[in-house]
Amino acid sequence: MIRYTLTRGVLLIAGLLVSSVLIFLTLRVFPGDVAQLIAGTQASPATVEALREALGFNRPLVVQYGEWIGGVLSGDLGTSQLSGASVGAELAEKAQVTVPLGLMALVIAMLIAVPLGILSALWRGRASGTALSVTAQALAAVPVIWAGMMLIVVFAVWLGWLPAQGFPRGGWDHPWQAFRALILPALTIGIVEGAMLLRFVRSATLQARGQDFVRTAAAKGLSRNRALVQHGIPAVGLSIVTVLGLQVAGIIVGSVVIEQLFTLPGIGRMLVADVGTRDLIKVQSELLVLTGLVLVVGFVVDLIHHFVDPRQREAA
Amino acid sequence: MFRRNRRLAVISALAATAVILSACAGSPEPVVETSKGEPDLNATLSVGLVLEPSNLDIRHTSGAAIEQILIDNVYEGLVTRSQDNTIEPRLASDYEVSDDGLTYTFTLNPDLTFHSGTALTSADVAASYEAVRTDATLQGNAEFASVASIAAPDAATVVITLTEPNQNFLFTLTGPAGLVFQTGDTTDLQTAENGTGPFTLENWSKGSTITFARYDDYWGEPAKVAEVVFEYIPDFTAGVNAALDGSLDVLTAVDPNLAPQLEDSGDFVLTTGRTTDKATLAFNNAKAPLDDARVREALRLAIDHEGLIEAVGAGETLYGPIPELDPGYEDLADVAPYDPERAKELLAEAGQKDLELTLTIPSFYGTTVPQVLVSDFAKVGVTLEVDAVEFPTWLEDVYTNKDYELSFVLHVEPRDFGNFANPDYYFSYDNPEVQSLYAEALAETDEEASAELLAKAARLVSEDHAADWLYNGATITAVSPLVAGFPEDSINSRINLAGVTKTAE
Repeated sequence: MIRYTLTRGVLLIAGLLVSSVLIFLTLRVFPGDVAQLIAGTQASPATVEALREALGFNRPLVVQYGEWIGGVLSGDLGTSQLSGASVGAELAEKAQVTVPLGLMALVIAMLIAVPLGILSALWRGRASGTALSVTAQALAAVPVIWAGMMLIVVFAVWLGWLPAQGFPRGGWDHPWQAFRALILPALTIGIVEGAMLLRFVRSATLQARGQDFVRTAAAKGLSRNRALVQHGIPAVGLSIVTVLGLQVAGIIVGSVVIEQLFTLPGIGRMLVADVGTRDLIKVQSELLVLTGLVLVVGFVVDLIHHFVDPRQREAA
Repeated sequence: MFRRNRRLAVISALAATAVILSACAGSPEPVVETSKGEPDLNATLSVGLVLEPSNLDIRHTSGAAIEQILIDNVYEGLVTRSQDNTIEPRLASDYEVSDDGLTYTFTLNPDLTFHSGTALTSADVAASYEAVRTDATLQGNAEFASVASIAAPDAATVVITLTEPNQNFLFTLTGPAGLVFQTGDTTDLQTAENGTGPFTLENWSKGSTITFARYDDYWGEPAKVAEVVFEYIPDFTAGVNAALDGSLDVLTAVDPNLAPQLEDSGDFVLTTGRTTDKATLAFNNAKAPLDDARVREALRLAIDHEGLIEAVGAGETLYGPIPELDPGYEDLADVAPYDPERAKELLAEAGQKDLELTLTIPSFYGTTVPQVLVSDFAKVGVTLEVDAVEFPTWLEDVYTNKDYELSFVLHVEPRDFGNFANPDYYFSYDNPEVQSLYAEALAETDEEASAELLAKAARLVSEDHAADWLYNGATITAVSPLVAGFPEDSINSRINLAGVTKTAE
């Protein structure tokens, strides 16, 4: 177990280092820079060049990378080239929107996927089961942005129940308002991700249904569905954990789109704005944090698997 | 800088929009008076805007988004400009220009204070301006090239001496270069401020809102609302949704195609304001085949300007480099009337068959303008390829490297005719006669004579077809009936909130 954890840990760190190099290099391919943006269109080339020099763009790439990654390793994500503000502080501020949004979306997705997925498996062959699985298929195919627009039109513009955009100025000082602001965006991501997850839960349940131990339980006198619920579902749980891990990446991508649509001041929107202004140090650190998050979730999922499932332990 | 101008092409709404706009265009009164009750001095005014400043350091960073909210509200200069771009005294109670146009004498208002509580004296003005004159990284440094000296003979008087007359000098002082900062102040201007205006900066939540609070010890008449919140909503549809769900009192830069929604709701009054936005189709004058004036003229004749404005949804035609709100304006419609037949002839004369051109356009301007251009040019046999790029890419490729054929950008700055008198600017337009006329206009001490010279130069630029001016932008603002005194014209460069009131519901 310890050996496995250590090996996976080393792989995780290697993965992060490789990502950091890739992130750093790909961003350097972008044309245009922040110096030009600060100076504006009435500035002389000399002014822009002086600014570029001051911002350190003229130094070798290796030096720039080393400085950035050195800072990151010592816990300093750098400062914005545009506003001079600390990237870490801003990320922490924006995380107050994005993290609750992601968690709410995840909860909603699970609330939709797990019961409905199992039901649709149990109802297989019935009209209600088919209707459920067709609906899920259709919802999973819906682009997040369209789902969001529909929810805005219905719940914010027509019914006026929930805000269509923005986050309370005081953040979580007014928890109810902040929560309300996140309902529609979380629903949007939750429904679409939930529909995808539902199909997975359904097929995993169906698979469990055919397993020997479920059949044995049924042979001992349980009804087939009861046998499935009592013995099959716990076995499905583990594979759901895996998919949930993958879902985290989906939710991060979804939040980039959704924060744009609902004008939520979160990490996704900050990222888009910073790419647009070529605030490269910020973008680098933000991407690295997000990549790290996905890698860490994958790492944790692997460990859980390894710990819970004896077959995997033997294989290792 | 340039204003973002994303358009959603809602074709069905176009006809209706055009009618509504023609009905409200050109309304002469500068201020909407819609409020009836008593103003609520404790009110919070929330204003929706599109483009957020990237930082608040107005001394070092260029951009309309910064100037728009900070000048007059937080920072002030000796002079400022009204909505129709006339120059007015601000920190100065009065000013005098000597007959030779070389000496400017300003008298300061009494009891001026910075938000820190320190009194403002002529020494602060002199130090601020001296910094602009000598520090190349400060905004306006180039415009201060003709400043010989800045003196503060007594605590209430500032005397600026120029080496040569400069008709634009006072106007320069209405911008970032003219703002007055406390001598020796150590405030970090990127995130905080220490101005003299009627509002202080209370909070900036990046990517979301900027909040101003009333400065109670303001030297002039205090602001009539306790707080102003600028909500930055980059997406036009999201902005309209926010207005409709009641979270905004004012929405600026309304997309014309979405305007009817706001009007129909009955919760907003729409105003159409004039601007100095010049939707400029730049030609790379130095690059073949655009170095041939016949080709440039043909392209201009091929554009149906009226049709384009109808598609965009708001604006007026503009056939030259100077808009109505700037000195030297003249209607130049006769220079490039819509005439696709003549355009074809000119292209044939120039020996251009099956001409293919590329339009480089910052992606936030949307697709309406490029689509109209593609179709107009196709009618005269020119194939236009559209290359939508990110703004920093545009800055590098088009603006810095001049590596482009056609480009589209909204040039929002007032009095920027000088770009056509600068052969190094990205238009690469080089006409010595225009350059000398512009120099003469700047040196002319009589305002009217100067404007005449500018008009003459502008006509030459248009007759050379140095660029095409697709339209002069108009800005639509949706204002709640509870709000009064919200400015209407030029608000994409200056939103003066001093007189704005909000009535309690």
